[in-house]
Amino acid sequence: MSRYKDNMTHEKNDNLSTDDIVLDTMVEQQIARHMTDLLNDSAQRLMPHQEQRLTLAHDAAVRYLAEKQAQLQYSNTHTSQGNVVRWFGDHFGQQHRMTSAALVILVMLVTFFAVQQFEVSNNLENSDAFLLASDLPPEAYADKGFDAWIDTN
Amino acid sequence: MDRYQLGFKYVLGLLFVVLTSLAHAGESDVTWSQLSEDQQKVLSPLAAEWDSLRPWQREKMLDIARDYPKMNPQKQERVKNRLSNWSRMTPYERENARKKHQRFKDLPEDQKQALRDKWRKYQSLPEAERAKLRAESPDTYGEPASE
Repeated sequence: MSRYKDNMTHEKNDNLSTDDIVLDTMVEQQIARHMTDLLNDSAQRLMPHQEQRLTLAHDAAVRYLAEKQAQLQYSNTHTSQGNVVRWFGDHFGQQHRMTSAALVILVMLVTFFAVQQFEVSNNLENSDAFLLASDLPPEAYADKGFDAWIDTN
Repeated sequence: MDRYQLGFKYVLGLLFVVLTSLAHAGESDVTWSQLSEDQQKVLSPLAAEWDSLRPWQREKMLDIARDYPKMNPQKQERVKNRLSNWSRMTPYERENARKKHQRFKDLPEDQKQALRDKWRKYQSLPEAERAKLRAESPDTYGEPASE
């Protein structure tokens, strides 16, 4: 069987057409069936302690798979980590954690500098310096007697 | 939560603290001797009282010193002459002045000129009459506003 598979692998490397790939798949399936039959035959002659070890291994494998699936489900349901990055396709998805972190930091920096810029321009318009340099002195704006006098004149 | 997530949140928290510190770096509590030469030159009318000003008052004055170089010599002279009186006004008076200055800026030029003329006439009134007018006038803006 091994020699047969080697031959098939050698042939696969020579020229990989669609027919070759289909043939290769069929051969793989045949090998798998053959292995299953061999295992089934051997399973008829197992010792009790071997059966027990196999049962334990089977249970452990099933438990591990169930835990993995539960973790995956929890991750998809309760966190959105990496969702934004998936919009950009699988390429970024490969390292989605790092890219997510970089995106969050980038957004924070952009927001910070935008706020700074807004404050600077806002201060320029509302700075007390321009009030002090105005045509009227600050007393004119703050003197409530002046307001009253304007109303009566 | 795995170790990576914990580390990521730690980095984000650290970044937030650093950015917040940077954002508030301008809030100053500097003494007169810590001011630069240019700042001292602009704020010289306040030299004697600088160290008794509250931090937010100093911050406002430093804003004035920052914008001072952007003005022409005539306006710079006005700022220096008015700075001392400005620092002695109450927060309430300053807030009123800011609001009215904003309104004044939006007036058409002829109305601005009329207001300048009226201010000159008002200044020529006897001080007793002006004091009476002030005493009889209600507060326009209600409760004093904090700066």
